[in-house]
This record gives sequence, C-alpha cells and structure tokens, in this order.
Amino acid sequence: MLSTKSLRDRRKAGSRVAIIHQDSYGSRLDSRLVEGLRLFDLNLRGKTVLLKPNLVESIPGREVNTNPRLVGSAATAFLALGAKTVLVGEGPGHQRDTLLVLAETGLERELQERGIRFVDLNRDDLMKVALQTQFTGLEFLWLPRTVLASDFVVSMPKVKTHHWAGVTLSMKNLFGVVPGVVYGWPKNPLHWRGIDRSILDINAAVPPHFVIADGIVGMEGNGPLHGSPRNLGRIVLADDPVAADFVCMRLMGLNPLRVNYLAQAAEFLGNGTTDRIVQLGEPMLAPQEPFVVLPEFAHLRI
Amino acid sequence: MISSFARYERQRLARCRLLDELLRRQLPAGGGWSHRGAQFGTEPTALALLALHSASIALKDGIAPLIAHQGAEGLWAAVGDGDGINFWATALAVNTLSILGTNPATYIESIRALVRLRPVEGSWLVSLKFRFLDRHVQFDPRKYGWPWVPDTVSWVAPTAMTLIALERAKSRGIVGGSELQRRLRLGTEMLIDRACPGGGWNAGNAVVYGVPLRPHIDTTAAALAALRPRYGLPIVRHSLRCLLRNSACPSPYSLAWMILAADAYKDGGMDISPAINSARDHLTSLVEDPRTIEDTSTIALAALALGSEPINNPFEVEG
Repeated sequence: MLSTKSLRDRRKAGSRVAIIHQDSYGSRLDSRLVEGLRLFDLNLRGKTVLLKPNLVESIPGREVNTNPRLVGSAATAFLALGAKTVLVGEGPGHQRDTLLVLAETGLERELQERGIRFVDLNRDDLMKVALQTQFTGLEFLWLPRTVLASDFVVSMPKVKTHHWAGVTLSMKNLFGVVPGVVYGWPKNPLHWRGIDRSILDINAAVPPHFVIADGIVGMEGNGPLHGSPRNLGRIVLADDPVAADFVCMRLMGLNPLRVNYLAQAAEFLGNGTTDRIVQLGEPMLAPQEPFVVLPEFAHLRI
Repeated sequence: MISSFARYERQRLARCRLLDELLRRQLPAGGGWSHRGAQFGTEPTALALLALHSASIALKDGIAPLIAHQGAEGLWAAVGDGDGINFWATALAVNTLSILGTNPATYIESIRALVRLRPVEGSWLVSLKFRFLDRHVQFDPRKYGWPWVPDTVSWVAPTAMTLIALERAKSRGIVGGSELQRRLRLGTEMLIDRACPGGGWNAGNAVVYGVPLRPHIDTTAAALAALRPRYGLPIVRHSLRCLLRNSACPSPYSLAWMILAADAYKDGGMDISPAINSARDHLTSLVEDPRTIEDTSTIALAALALGSEPINNPFEVEG
C-alpha cells in the first residue's frame, strides 16, 4: 500500500448516506428516488447533471448492468429537482460498440422515452488532466470533456463482486470515464498500473458528487459478468463515494477496510468511519448471509 | 419483397447521405475528422478518407490531415492533439495510406515500428507469469499480437488491424523479410488462440475464471477479415457462420463491420449473400438520418459497407 500521508485531505466534515428499501424496478421507483434525493436538499438549480451508470455488456439472465429503469428514474428525479440538463454517459471497458450495449440492455429505449441524451464517453472530445495523486505513476489522464464540463457527476454502480477488484461500486465505476479510444478495450494500461491505484487516481481527478447505487438486485460470486443475482432490495444514495462504498460493502456483509483502495480512499478522499457518516433514511442492516465471493476474496467477509 | 432495383436505390441514396454527412463533418481547414466533436481522431479520419475514396470523392487536402498527425517513429496517437501511441490507430492509418496510393516512404517507418513492436507478454518473464502463475484468463502468451498502447498485452482488435495493414504492405512489396513473417505468424496464432470457445472473438479474453465469454460482433468481424487467408481452419469457418447470424443487429457500427468482414469471404465457398443482403437492408434503415449518428467512424463504416457491389473493401487482405 502506498502512503496517503502527503496527500491533501479532501474529506468532508461529515458525509451523508441514505439507504432506501426498494424490492423491484417497478412503478414506484421514480417517486421513491425523488423522496430519497430530497433528504439531501441538493441545490441543482441550473446545473448540468451527468449520470454515469455501469454498463458492461448484456448477458441474458445476468444482472450485469445498472438497471435502465433506475437510470431513467434518476434522470427524471434530477430534472424534477431543478437540474437544467441531465445527460447519461458511459464508456464500456470491453465492448467497443457502446450503442449496441445501450440497445441490448434496454437503456436506449428508456432514455428515448424520457427524452434524455446519452454520451459515449469512449469517443468524446478529450482533455488532458494532470493528476493530483500519483498512485499509478501516471502524470495525467485523458478524460472526456462531457465529464469535466458537468456540474454534478453521479456515479450509478451496480452493487457487485468483482473478480479482480473484490467489489465494483461507485469508485470502481469511474473506470468508465477513462476513454477507450486512448486507453483501449479493455483499458489495459490501468490494469498494468494496478486496479486499486487507478481507482484512486481517477477518483481523485474527477470525484463524483453523488452516488446512486443499484442494490435492488446485485451480483455475487464471479462478478462483474458471470456472478449470480442477489436480491438486496436497497438503493444507496450518498454525497460521498467513499462513504457510499463503505456502506454498500457493509450491506453486502463485507469489510470495506480489507479492500485496499477503499482503505486508502478513507484516509484522504472521503469518509469511511461511522462517526463521519450521517445515516439518512433507513437503518443499515447487514445481510444474514454475506455476498458470495471468490476464494481469493474470502478475507473480505466480515 | 423489395425488388433488387428498389433495394439498390435505397442503399445508394443512404450511402450518398452518409458521404454528404462525412463531408459536412470535416474539421475546419482540412483538419480531418473527429469521433463526435471538434478534436482530430485518427480512426474517424482514416475511415472517412477510405469511405470518400471508395466513392471517388477527391478532397482538396487529401491525406494531409492524417500525415500532419503522424508522430515519432511514424506512429499515430488516437486523438490528434494527444500524445502517446496507439497501435490500432497506427495500423488503420497505414492501411488507409496504402489503399489511397500514398508514397510508401511516408509510412515505411510506421510499418517497421509495427513489426518491431512487442507486447508485454513478448518478454519471457511476463510470458512465464501468464503461463504458470496467473491462469485466471486462459491464453497462450507465447502467441502474441499487438496491444492498443505500449507496455500492455496484445488484444484482438489492434492485432487484426495490424495484420491487415502488414499483409497489404507485404503483398505490395513494401516490406518483407523473416521478422515480418514471424510477426505475421505469431499474430495469426494469437487470434486463433484467443477465439471464444463457441466461435467468434471479443476483446481478447475468451475464458476467464473458467467461464467462456461471449464474442462481440465488431471484433469477430475484424479478426475474420484478418484471418481470411486461413479460411481452411474450422474456427474461422465456424466463426464466420456465427457472424452471419447477426444481420438483424440493432447497431450500425457492428453491422457495418459484419458486412465488410463477410464480404471478404464472398469467394470462399460459403453462401454469404443472403446474410449480407439482409444486413445491408437493415443497415440502410438504421442510417436513414446520418445526422442522428454521433460517431463519425460509424458513418464512414456504413458508407463503406453500403458501397456498390463489389464493395471496395479496405479490410480485405490482399495476397
């Protein structure tokens, strides 16, 4: 692990997390999300909001991607709360044909019905952004102009286990803002620099302002593609990605401090300790059975 | 049933609209093309030049935008004002310049750099690691192709495009020698090694944690185009049959790739015409209004795929 001692402490005095009980992607989703977001009293008036879901590819019978209904509901909710514009953007890491993923997952239709524009972050105009942290040793990252120009970036991960990173939540989800056109499919330079280190550098460069984590149906086991669906029945909202991921992991019955990048992020990027996280909405209840993890990640279980 | 003439006319008109849109999207001062905004992109520029060339549309600036962005050692970055090297972009640029009849002196250094390039698994230490220690992804690191960027492992798309570019250069007598032959052989073996168990290719991970992954249409198409000289191999014929099942694909990018790859096999003995005709009809519908397609590469690929038959196919391996 690299030392985070020399890094500027960017943690808020307190972060807020809300856990919302929601069993399905049914009709009450829009209203539940608006209710949940209102707990945060966000000032979105006149702002451009970018929703960044986790789209990998469509595999029949697998809960791989952030559910399109949740993305659509979030878009509608942010517009209802005063946002000037809501965009949805993603740059899938394996499938080069982003629009095919969009069509096959059903997100294209969902967004069309709601009049929301999608941006392929793999092929956006790019800007060179100097990194303020040096976990990967990279001096800069090329990042999409759409992400950098947005006032309010919302990471919308699927709550999943991940066979390389342990879990993929709101921070790992930011891999999708790194453009494939420069870094390839998959974004292999980041793998060689270390997934944990890359997650830290990316999140320090473009920290999301908010998180809506899809834990209604998550994935356990051999995620992020071939794990089994796991009904968690929760949406996690947070104004701090580190706090969001800590809470999501506890909901999964896993110990966030045993994920390197989360333990390090909690030292400078966001809050992980309960004394600095204000719990809104429903109380946190860990599952009776923790999420199934691959043997390599057995140490994550509480 | 659409008559042949009506079908041909629909496709011709769709292609005209695509080409018009490409001309409209040219960056100011002959600066090439962007993926979807205002920034030069090597891929969209190369594909746009190929599409316009296939329709015999001459440009005042010709290949200048592509040449202007050629970097050190003759290599290209993915985006123009970006630094860094991208081998997919380089192979695409070399293939384009070759097809456009550019003086080989312009890109001979690029070809030599591609031949010299080793992905990280080309080093014995990394190769040993992947052979004996890290077996979560099943592949043979002794069979390597080309990576997207330096200091990473080889992947299907850049390997396929580099094979296409190098085979063309070889067949035109621009480059030769034993090292070229060795790299062509290794790259071909790498593609065959990385094929998905059920046929086709994805980015390059066929089996991960013991689970076979699904192929993707566009990478399957690129790999098949590169492997045209290996039509006799069962995995190639089987993958072609798998690819031909995708003529109803909802995305024009993948569909255009499918048509171009399948077209390269038109003389291969398999009856591919029904699938290609169906795919061209469907593609024509999908690109009805090219202004709604953000990605310029998709527009260029669709224009190439809807070319009058026989298609002037830039991804058909010569030789």
